[in-house]
This record gives sequence, C-alpha cells and structure tokens, in this order.
Amino acid sequence: MLRDPLFVPKHTKGRPMPEGRFWEKEYSSARVWLAGGAVWMAIGTLAGLGSAIHLVAPDFFANIPWLEFGRIRQVHVNTVLFGFVVQMLIGCALYIMPRVLATKLFSEPLANLAALFFNAGVVLGDIGLMAGYTQGREYAEYIFPADVLLVIALVMVAVNMVMTLVRRNEQLLYVSSWYFAGAIVWTVFMYPLGNVMWHPATGAETGITDAIFLWFYGHNVFGLLVTPLAVGIAYYMFPRIAGAPLYSQALSIIGFWSLLLFYTHIGAHHLIQAPIPTWLKTVSIIDSFAMMLPVATVLVNQWYTARGRFGRFLTNPSAKLMLVGTIWYAIVCIQGPLQSLAVVQRVTHFNNWVVGHAHIAVLGFTGFIALGGMYYVLPYVTGRRVYSEKLINIQYWLILLGLLDFFIVLTIAGLIQGQDWLNGATVYRTVPQMKPYMTLRLAGGLMIITGAFVGVYNVLMTFRKGEPINP
Amino acid sequence: MSALWTKTRAFVGSPAAVIVAGSMLVLVAATFATVLWPVYTMKHKPSSLWRPNRTLEDEGRLRYIANGCTYCHSQYVRPQDWGIGAERIAESGDYHQQQPHLLGSERTGPDLSQEGGEHSDDWHLAHFINPRFTRPRSLMPRFAFEGDRNIKALVAYMQSLGGKNADARVAAQKRFHAEAIAAYRKGPDENIEWLHSRVPRSWRAMPTESPVTDASVARGEKVYQDYCIGCHGPVGDGEGPAARYLEPRPVNFTTLRRHLIDRKYIGGILYYQIMNGITGTAMPYFKKDLESAKIWDVSNYLERNFIGHTDDKYPDVGIPASYEGKEAGPVTDQPAPEPPSRSVAP
Ligand code: HEM
Ligand code: HEM
Repeated sequence: MLRDPLFVPKHTKGRPMPEGRFWEKEYSSARVWLAGGAVWMAIGTLAGLGSAIHLVAPDFFANIPWLEFGRIRQVHVNTVLFGFVVQMLIGCALYIMPRVLATKLFSEPLANLAALFFNAGVVLGDIGLMAGYTQGREYAEYIFPADVLLVIALVMVAVNMVMTLVRRNEQLLYVSSWYFAGAIVWTVFMYPLGNVMWHPATGAETGITDAIFLWFYGHNVFGLLVTPLAVGIAYYMFPRIAGAPLYSQALSIIGFWSLLLFYTHIGAHHLIQAPIPTWLKTVSIIDSFAMMLPVATVLVNQWYTARGRFGRFLTNPSAKLMLVGTIWYAIVCIQGPLQSLAVVQRVTHFNNWVVGHAHIAVLGFTGFIALGGMYYVLPYVTGRRVYSEKLINIQYWLILLGLLDFFIVLTIAGLIQGQDWLNGATVYRTVPQMKPYMTLRLAGGLMIITGAFVGVYNVLMTFRKGEPINP
Repeated sequence: MSALWTKTRAFVGSPAAVIVAGSMLVLVAATFATVLWPVYTMKHKPSSLWRPNRTLEDEGRLRYIANGCTYCHSQYVRPQDWGIGAERIAESGDYHQQQPHLLGSERTGPDLSQEGGEHSDDWHLAHFINPRFTRPRSLMPRFAFEGDRNIKALVAYMQSLGGKNADARVAAQKRFHAEAIAAYRKGPDENIEWLHSRVPRSWRAMPTESPVTDASVARGEKVYQDYCIGCHGPVGDGEGPAARYLEPRPVNFTTLRRHLIDRKYIGGILYYQIMNGITGTAMPYFKKDLESAKIWDVSNYLERNFIGHTDDKYPDVGIPASYEGKEAGPVTDQPAPEPPSRSVAP
C-alpha cells in the first residue's frame, strides 16, 4: 500500500498569514469562491421557487416576462449548477489542491480574478436569460459573452491547478489532485465544444447533429466537471474525518481512468428515443452500466476508509453532509444506469422522474459534498471557527428533508405521468393530476431554500464573527 | 523564476504530466468516437416532410427559444406515443438545418413537433393570450406580454411545425375556415344548418347511445369544465373568455333547441362534432383526450343543461351496454317477485 500523503503533511502548520492585499493572501481565493457559492445557492433556489410556483399556480407571475417559467427555469438550473455547485466545489479544491501537494496555490490573484470572471459570467448569463437572451440548449443556455467569461475563468483556474501541480513539494500525487486538475482541464476543452462556441450567435450546430453535441456536453458537465470535483473532495475528506489512511490507492486510480473512459461515451442516453444512430444509443447504454465501476471504486474506497469509524461522521456536521453526499451518489448511480435502458425510459423519459434524478444528483450528490467540503474548509481558509455548528445542522436537516421530499414526490409524479402516457392518456389529461405533487414539491423546495439562506447567514457570519482560531 | 523553470522541466516527464496529457487524449478520443464519428457517418438529408422555414416562422421560433418553451414542450414523436402527431414518428431529417435543435427533454406540455394545423390561428391567439382560455386546466404561462407582433410570429411558427404535413393540415384548416366563416356571417341559424350539414348522415340520425342519467350528466359537467368552458362559457352561451379572440365565435348551445329533429336533439350530432372538432374553426377535436363514454357524458350534459331536449327516449335499436339496458335498471327495495308456484302443475 502506498504511503498516504495526508498524514505526513509538509505544509507548515500555524504559519502566519502573509501580508498583502486581500486578493494576494493565502486562501483568499478559496474564501471568495466559497462565499460566492453560498450566495448563489440562495439566489438559484429562489429561481427554483419561482419555477415551482408556476407549476402550481400558473397565473401567479402572469405576464411578467422575466419571471416567465421557461426563463426563470433556465436561471434556476444554470445558477445552481454553475453559481452554486461548481463555484463551491472549486472553492474547496483551491484549498485542498495545495494542501495535498504540500505547496501554495500557484497564484492567489489569478484565482481571485478567475472568481471575478466566473461570477460576472453567471450574472450576465442570468440577466440575459431573464431578458430572453438564451441559446435554448439545456445547460448551455448562457449567451456567448457569458460563455466567454466562464471559459476565461476556467482557463485561469486550470492554469492555476496545473502550475500548482508543477510547483508541488509532495512527489506522490494524491488522487484528489488528479481529479481537480482533470476536471478543470477537461472542462476547458469540453465547454466550448458543447456550447458550439465557434457559432457565437446561436451557440449551436445544425440539425440532429446539434443534439449530439449538446448531450455530449450536457452529460459531461456533470460527469467531467462536477462529479470529479466532488469525488476529489470526498477523497480528501474521508481519510481526514475518519483519521485513517485511504483504503486503496489502486482503486482510486482505476476509478479515475474508468470514469473518464466511460462517462465520455454516455451522452446519447439522453436521446434514447430520439432519431440518432442506434449504435450510438447502444454504446451509451452499455457505458452507462459500465459507469457502475468507477462509481463503485469511489464508494468502496470512501466507505472502507471510514469502516469502523462511521461514528466520527455523525458527530461532525460537515462530515455528515459528506457521508450523505456519497449515499446520494450511490442512489443516483444505481438509478442512472437503469433509466438509461430503453424499456425503463419508455416510462420515465420526458417526465418528473428525470427531474427527481437531476435534483438528487446535483443537489444530493455534488451539492451535499460541496456544502460539507465548504464547512470543513472554512476554518482553515478564514482562520475562524464556523459561526454556528447548530446552523449547519439545521441547514443539513432542511436540505435533506426537502430533497427527500423532491425525490419521492417527483419520482411518483413521473411514474404516474409515464404510465398514463404509455396507456394513451394525453399530456393535457395528466396535467391536473400533477397538482398535489407539484404542491408537495413546492413545500420541499421551501425547506431547501430556507436551508440555503441559513447557509448564507452562517458563512457570512463566519467571516465576520467566527471565533478566531489561535494563530 | 529559475526554480519554477526547473520544476516545470521536472514536471514535463513526470506522472502528473502523463495524467493531464493522457486524460486529455482519452477525452479527445471519446469526443471523436461519440461526437465526430456519428456526425460524420450520419445521413444529413432532409426528410420527406421537411421544408425551409418562412421569415415569420423563424421569428416565431426565436420567441419560442427566448421564452424557454422547449423546457415544457418536446419536439419528437416516439413510437409509443398516442397524442398529437402520433401518426408520424420523428426522423432525423425532420430537423434539417435547425439551429439549435429543439428536441426538448420534458413534456410538461404536449409534444409540438406536429402541431402545425392541429388548431386554427384564432385558437392559438386566444391560447397565447391566456392558455386557460382554451385549455382550462393548462399550466402554461400567459404570453400576452409578447405583444401582437410576436404572438403572430409564434402562431406562424406553431403552424409550421411538422413541415409539409403541417402545410397539408393548415390547408384543410383554411378550406373549412372559408366555409365556416361564410356560414357564420349568414346568421346563427344558418350557421347551425351548415354545421349540421357537415355531420355525416348516419351520425345525424344516431340517437344518444348513453342514457341521460344524473350520474352521466354530473360526469359530463366535469368534462365540460375541463375542456369546453373557456370558449363556450359557464352557461353555454358561447361567451367564454376565449370567445372574443375567435372568429367564428363558439356556438351558443341554447340556440340549438331551434334545430330539433322530431322534437328531439340528436346526440349523434354532438358526439360527432366533439369527437372530430370543426376543422377551420377554433373548435378542436377531442377524440384523443376523451374516451367514448366521456364524449357521450358531455353531450348529455349539453342536452340536459343548455339545449333542454334530448333524444334519450328513442326506441332502443341495438344491444345496450349491460349497465344501461332497461332490464338492468337500478336496484330497488321492491321485494323480489314471487317465484312461480310449484303447485301449479304444468
Ligand atoms: C452512473 C451514473 C449515471 C447514469 C448512468 C445516469 C443516467 C442518466 C440518464 C439516462 C438520464 C436521462 C434520463 C432521461 O432523459 O430519460 C440522466 C439525466 C440526468 N442526470 Fe444522470 N446518470 C448518472 C449519474 C449522474 C450524476 C452523477 C449526475 C450529476 C452530478 C447526473 C445528473 C443528471 C441530470 C442533471 C440529468 C437531467 C438531464 C436533463 O435535463 O434532462 N447524473 N442521467
Ligand atoms: C441547490 C439546489 C438545487 C439544485 C442543484 C437543482 C437543480 C436542478 C436541475 C439540474 C434541474 C433541471 C432538471 C432537468 O432538466 O431534468 C432543476 C429543475 C427544476 N428545479 Fe431545481 N434544483 C435545486 C433546488 C430547487 C428548489 C429549492 C426548487 C423549488 C423550490 C427547485 C425547483 C425546480 C423546478 C421547478 C425545476 C423545473 C422542473 C420542470 O421543468 O418541470 N429546485 N433543478
């Protein structure tokens, strides 16, 4: 078994924060990315609230163009995905990456500048969406200028990650650093490709080709961006929390390469019923099942690392978030391959089942890990204890219960829709049936939103009033 | 700086560089295999129904994109579908030159790939102003804020969906619209005469197949409220909220009592019109939404509540459904008839 770098940190402990302007200070960029993520979570879930209200009371925002369902839904999805999840995960990575490499981040100012570009991209993208400027392709809706801002930000982060790798003092590359560097570098390639950025006006290719481009990207934004970031954080956190070395380095290497190999082939499972080449669908379904391998390596590795020490995960709120995040990951990735099967999609495609999957994936898996990572990392990057552990616990329960509500309610709703359509009911007939479920989803959503605001308060108060840790 | 240079040189041959570069290679290979290769080998020919869009249609398409319509409406029909457009399963050539594609991933609302000609222009207008005007239980947002010009473009886009197939349906709408509007302008009774003349003879003689019971009328009322009330109005006078956008206006059911046959109003006429709609007017067909029993129920509701005459008492001509026949009347408290006495010898 390989030596675990986490327990021989060369990183000097208790070293005073270097002087300088705030964007030059050590970990200043992690602070900015984390705080940004927390704030966008609140804004993004509010946009989700707007969408959810529409589905219960369509006249609630009647004739307010910028709150119209189709627009605010895009704001919701892009904001929680990029503003919240991606941003918070990168925030954690900016702290963890130098730690596992026993060096400093290559450039704090660069990472702070990247945050500026990234957030400007989200702001511009969102305003555009509300004003009706959209490219109309799921997860690639942001208009070209916003795409450019995001890509510039990602390039800056990528440079930072790679140069941090270059400057490392720890020769052994802990697997987290693979995932972080990989995620960002891959995304720099895949984001412009999927957003068809060589066509700035439409951001699209023509014909059915466009669907293939889109869903290659639409899947990879989860598979090659948020998943590896979240997995990288889990790989760092589990051994730390458990106080035990990682169960197996070999597994982590298998997991890394197989993730990359299989995830990149499964975009077409979003198009199983659409007129694209059959062989492409077949490949996507087979590789969807193959995905169980990388997922299993991650989960086995984390849970075996924690074996016998799960108690530690229940007393520490950020560890709880982390553990539950991996449990959601397991559920998502059992559900995922099954719903890529044509027989299953006959029922589940086009309805709320998929929306349920999307929420447990993006919020349950990556969102939980982002939050857990953030609360773990905050004291190290601010030099202060988290303002209130109790508030983390409250947030945890609000989001967990709200998300369970989403999962159960949306799955049931989806099954009803799917079975009814299969039996010949028109869509119009299933619309009124959705009312109770959409109402319950609204209730669950309110819990999640409350949780998001509790989180913002807790994070901001940590910056201002958190109890300083002895220098 | 020179320290960094040394480290960079060391990095180039190191496992870290292999990971970064190697993984990029894998990604590029996968992109080739699952994006470029299928795109390269696919046929990129228009399908038999494809035609280029007109300017106004393209404008409408842009509004469709701007408002995120694609998040509730898919645009491809699958083999297992029953709803709008189930006559034609999507082919890749249907999407020729479309940029971006609008396949969609959800059906909060119905699939629209074959929407063209399914409804009349005035139906669409009322529907965009407020979807609940024409479809009372709809969840769709109102689009009055788009303004006349954009709504016009949106309607043109809707009518283009389905390409040449849509054009054929739109042509049918136009043909019957001319007839319908001429009849409508002649006056209410002439209008009804024309409407009846467009119902096949056999249906004009077809008695109500489902007795006008209280239960049937109650079910019919529910159907009426979910499907009809927006145009025909709560009292059946054709003054629902959609009516002011429609030309011809919805029929006022109370005038139908002037068109009795044999002092009865023929249920078959209602059934036929509800089932098939009045193409050319805003009256859509309902045979995909409503099963047979529901159509009879709602026509019973119309007859009892708005027309005041039914043809329920026509002599039975066929074998009734088991629960509807005279013999299968409601269970009563009457004592069972005495069994024939055995004492009477045959
Ligand atoms: C083994 C892993 C997974 C497999 C095989 C899988 C499979 C699928 C399939 C087949 C769909 C499309 C369902 C349909 O349209 O009918 C889907 C949708 C989705 N998946 Fe996954 N999934 C997996 C993991 C994940 C993960 C880890 C995430 C996020 C981090 C995720 C996020 C999503 C989202 C957001 C959608 C909705 C896409 C849309 O907007 O239509 N999935 N998944
Ligand atoms: C941070 C937490 C959240 C995340 C990461 C998240 C993520 C997502 C994603 C990825 C989708 C796209 C689903 C798909 O296309 O299949 C989506 C859709 C949606 N979400 Fe969320 N969401 C979150 C919280 C919420 C909350 C709190 C609400 C409600 C109050 C909400 C309501 C909705 C609605 C209504 C849709 C549209 C579904 C539809 O079109 O039918 N979400 N969300």
